[in-house]
Amino acid sequence: MRGASRRRLTAIGLGLGLSLAIGLLSWAWARPAAVVRVLMPAPFADATADLVATFNRSHRDVRIAVTRGPFETDAVSDLAISSLLLGDSPYDLLLMDVTWTAKYAAAGWLQPLDPWLGPDALEPLVSGARAGNRIDGRLYRLPLVADMGLLYWRTDLMEAPPRTPDDLVAISRRLQEQGKVRWGYVWQGRQYEGLSCVALELIAGFGGHWGPGEAGFGLASPAAARAAGWLQQLVREGISPPAVANFAEPEALQSFEAGEAAFLRNWPYAWQELQRQGSAVAGKVGITTMVAEPGQPHAATQGSWGFSLLAGSPHPDAAATVLQALTGEASQRQLVRRYGYTPTLTALFDDPELVAERPLLPELRQALEQAVLRPLNPGYAQLSDILQRQLSALITGRGDPALAMARAARESDLLLRASGQEVGAQPKEVS
Amino acid sequence: MSALLLMAPALLLLLVVFVWPLLDYAWLSLQAQSVFTGLEAVPVGTLNWQRLLVDGRFWQDAWQTLRFAAVSVALELVAGLAIALLLHQRWRGRGVVRGLALLPWALPTTVMALGWRWIFNDPYGPINGLLQLLGLATLPFLAAPELAWLATVVADVWKTTPFVALLLLAGLQMIPDDLYEAFALEGGTPWQGLWRITLPLLRPYIFIVLLFRLAQALGVFDLIAVLTGGGPASSTESLALYAYLNAMRFLDFGYSATVMLGMFLLLLAGAGGLLLWRRQTDAPQEVRP
Repeated sequence: MRGASRRRLTAIGLGLGLSLAIGLLSWAWARPAAVVRVLMPAPFADATADLVATFNRSHRDVRIAVTRGPFETDAVSDLAISSLLLGDSPYDLLLMDVTWTAKYAAAGWLQPLDPWLGPDALEPLVSGARAGNRIDGRLYRLPLVADMGLLYWRTDLMEAPPRTPDDLVAISRRLQEQGKVRWGYVWQGRQYEGLSCVALELIAGFGGHWGPGEAGFGLASPAAARAAGWLQQLVREGISPPAVANFAEPEALQSFEAGEAAFLRNWPYAWQELQRQGSAVAGKVGITTMVAEPGQPHAATQGSWGFSLLAGSPHPDAAATVLQALTGEASQRQLVRRYGYTPTLTALFDDPELVAERPLLPELRQALEQAVLRPLNPGYAQLSDILQRQLSALITGRGDPALAMARAARESDLLLRASGQEVGAQPKEVS
Repeated sequence: MSALLLMAPALLLLLVVFVWPLLDYAWLSLQAQSVFTGLEAVPVGTLNWQRLLVDGRFWQDAWQTLRFAAVSVALELVAGLAIALLLHQRWRGRGVVRGLALLPWALPTTVMALGWRWIFNDPYGPINGLLQLLGLATLPFLAAPELAWLATVVADVWKTTPFVALLLLAGLQMIPDDLYEAFALEGGTPWQGLWRITLPLLRPYIFIVLLFRLAQALGVFDLIAVLTGGGPASSTESLALYAYLNAMRFLDFGYSATVMLGMFLLLLAGAGGLLLWRRQTDAPQEVRP
């Protein structure tokens, strides 16, 4: 990986050197271009290739050099962290998952964007996309695309989607007894970050809150125990397959796409996959937000990608220019139209032309307004790991939900205390 | 003096690649260096070690790593010996089979782990396809704690048995044929020959195999990271994976170093035991029918 990217960098460097030589010959006034190096996960590097090429054609003093990272979120993080640990990062900009921001900022790897973007940088965004970018009043990240947890349901099997957990179980059971589907509900139960996303929505839907402000990081609450218990019940009562304990997004999607399940929890990307040829459920799928107990919010876990400026960047001005161009309206519009990503700019959600082309946008915006953020904490990865471990044990049939959540609560408090953070403190102000 | 001079390059290399990192880790294990300290090293004495001693997850992972290593290496030894004996015999097509037998070993672990992840898939993988064909229920191989660790063992045995077979085959070829001939003349059966000649003379090779394989299996990382990610419920998590999580995910380098050193100490104890066992059993053996 490093060798390949270095070779690529060398190749890019050679290419740049050549074009520079030509440029000097052609225009005596040409200045050497600042090369802004950007690391992105492979899908984004591919989706933005045109945008980058257009930018490079129209700018003479700034050039973008994209490093195409791995596909998996964790692998991108490993690559970025390895390079950052070595001191001089080979990148200026990093496309980051929403959960990394607090950790990277605490490690001192990020530069605040405020000097370049000003205090109103988040104003053009829909409110659901604003959270998770500012930490302690400083802006560390500008989102490129939004992402949120959705409940997919089969329009051919029911009139309306379930709104409460009990509804979902009842409809599932009925359809299973009628032999219409093998399973009721498929979701992400593998011991990984996806399980925390599932849990975050449900804990909110059961009236709780995973995050600072309450004892045990919110996990000591009866709501957390009920949410965890519901997940256990799904598997125990056969509403969800036992294999769900090893399901990530692709496995859950596969099962739903084959027509085996009535409900699916996934991100917006699944919509296009479900509509393609060969899908057993094409044209029979609706989306809504996650079920919740009466009176509780139908929450959607936010999972967006955004650009951050790395602290070691030798030319932050040029990098900020690139960051603004790549997250701008023209750029987002193309990502929505060509690749089906969800935008973050209000203007795009309000654009009738775009809505005509992507009829899902209003519903996605609605879900985005319900977005709940995973805790903004430098220790988030570990807090999430604590929760995943207990949930995974519950789903595979071990233990009692209340006890398991109490254990997770205790471990979370221990971690917070050991790291010098207040336990049960009021949430930090986040906008 | 000249001996020391001649050895100096080797000693220097050992110092740089082995002793220095070890000392560095020992120092790191006495620091708090994590995302919470802004990645600055803050001396904390033996705090990390105290945490290690009461960290249930470390000991659970230590047990799981040991169980994985013991079971998979034992199975690899038996299967590898069988394959080596087979490949030692003269028969048509042996050369081709010798080449083919090495294939799993030549495959990158990540690739083969992805393959096994598919093979164990519930319900679309081939094994569950076979079970369904036989009218049986599918098994959630990677989603049930009591099955998932066996799945990791199966994948590891498949991958590393060829390596064991190769080493043992080399050992078999060092045993002179006339030993077996004399043994047969005296009325010994081939089965007795296996126990009285082959195995005793293979002992040094078995020792090498054990040393290599145990060291590798106790440090298992890539196979498990890809196949199960340590789940479900951390039931397949190895110590190396736990150390990696601490360093790369939690950015807790002090504790990660402590976990690695803890693992190193356990390994050292294991290797010491093995050496002791070798010393005791290495007395020259008499070969008699």
